[in-house]
Amino acid sequence: MSRETIRQLLVVLAAVVLLPIFVRHAIATEIWIFAIFGLGLNLLMGYTGLLSFGQATFFGSAAYVAGYLLKYYGIDIFLALAIGIVVGTVSAAGVGYLCVQRSGLYFIMLTFALNQMFYFTAYQWTTVTGGEDGMPGIPRPSIFGFDIHPPLAYYAAVAVLFLVSLWIMQRIVESPLGKILQAIRENELRAEALGYNVPRMKLLAFAVAGAFSGLAGVLYAMLFGIVPLESIGFVFSGNVVFATLIGGSGSLYGPVIGSFVFIWLSESVSTMWARWPLLLGVAFVIVVLFFRGGVVEAWARFWGWRAAHRAPAAAQVDADAPR
Amino acid sequence: MPLVKTELLTKSFGALTAVKAVTLEVAEGSLHSVIGPNGAGKTTLFNLLTGQQTPTSGRIIFDGRDIAGTPPHRIAHLGIARSFQRTSIFPTLSIVDNVWLAAFARQEFWRGLAWRRADGYPELTRRALGVLDEVGLGDKARLPAREISHGEQRQLELAIALAAAPRLLLLDEPAAGLSPDETQKMVALVQKLKGRYTILLIEHKIDVVMSMSDRISVMHFGSVIAEGSPVEIRRNAEVRRAYLGGIAAP
Repeated sequence: MSRETIRQLLVVLAAVVLLPIFVRHAIATEIWIFAIFGLGLNLLMGYTGLLSFGQATFFGSAAYVAGYLLKYYGIDIFLALAIGIVVGTVSAAGVGYLCVQRSGLYFIMLTFALNQMFYFTAYQWTTVTGGEDGMPGIPRPSIFGFDIHPPLAYYAAVAVLFLVSLWIMQRIVESPLGKILQAIRENELRAEALGYNVPRMKLLAFAVAGAFSGLAGVLYAMLFGIVPLESIGFVFSGNVVFATLIGGSGSLYGPVIGSFVFIWLSESVSTMWARWPLLLGVAFVIVVLFFRGGVVEAWARFWGWRAAHRAPAAAQVDADAPR
Repeated sequence: MPLVKTELLTKSFGALTAVKAVTLEVAEGSLHSVIGPNGAGKTTLFNLLTGQQTPTSGRIIFDGRDIAGTPPHRIAHLGIARSFQRTSIFPTLSIVDNVWLAAFARQEFWRGLAWRRADGYPELTRRALGVLDEVGLGDKARLPAREISHGEQRQLELAIALAAAPRLLLLDEPAAGLSPDETQKMVALVQKLKGRYTILLIEHKIDVVMSMSDRISVMHFGSVIAEGSPVEIRRNAEVRRAYLGGIAAP
């Protein structure tokens, strides 16, 4: 492991350990759940260049299916998580198969339209989903006899799963697949000419993103003990896009930071000020206009600027060197 | 025996026939050039050979089998690689990654596709760096591709095609937009590749084509109007009328 990797690892570990000290446990838990959700989207949006406005489809489907089985069949927690991941993957593969046939605006509209279809199915199918009232009474089974009802215990379980997800995503983006997806984002025609089946690679990205969304969906259902109808709605899809953009799409830690900013703002500021989405709007405009790489880029630029300020002479030499 | 041949290959876009009944044979190991004025259908011919466009009719026989209408990613796996007339690279990826991606694509099995680290393929990385050395970009391997000059991007364009270890190399105006100096370097580079690869070359600079080619096909309004050795082409009256002298002396 390089020093850079170790440093990043330490920062993430510190964040995971320290967060529940400063933030309410339920919110801290939600931050990591939303981060897992964002990790998946980021593979699509940041790495492959596919702006999916329908990620809640997979999140919500997994939450409903696993929630239903947890509630009525009392399945094991690991089985519930596995089912969530499978439902997320399969629904994403199905939706993805239809969407990758088109590109650009049509692609985005397709993800959105299919999301709406799932939403209204959940809305109408009240006997199963509870419609507008959501699906309450989702239990939180023990892990190996270890009770995770105390908020901090559940936080720990989610935090571990988040770390595992982050590690897996890091492996994926640093693998040949990660490079191929970036190549597709950069230049689809050339990627195809090199011998990559572009639609199939996009589909693969969808499936992986779906798996992450599914995991997040089940954890979300167990966190609040309910699957709210909103969890499959387009607003939720928009939120994760929003959070990922603010954090920095296309960098591994972008969606993690974005999730922190988004959830923390929405949960803490919203209690003080009902118009808090205004703040998000402003943040969004700033990001789009000045920091396309989100917080991650702003951070890197700040340090670059500081270094240049501290040692102007050295920076000058740097700037002159051929890059 | 020809490595690739086309039989009455035709491509129409509505009323326009861009490639008209082209029959062409490229001998294994040769450097075969296609010349002709702008709009003669040369690039369309390449697009047909690489599957980017589907022929309206006709056949493309590569290594004994008909590949007309095969999608581009499959054709790449058969061993046909191309460079593009307008530079087509992956701008934000590093130069070595640009080339590495071409090398990885040609592997029989994509082992470790989503799990092994991309730098865990020493043989591919070595091949990528080797190709970069060959085109003269070895010392810039770690730079993002968008940060090098146009001339260097043309070299990268060629390196990407070479890294695929092709059996047939299609070069679409490799010297497009290059200064005289850079053109000379590019010509020397293609000269070096001659004999090691079967090359089909589109080029506008007539002197370059005449000096390097084993055979030349001349295209005009979608048809091949002449084919032969450089000497034969130089003597051909029809070619002079349509192309060589057509502009200067009507």
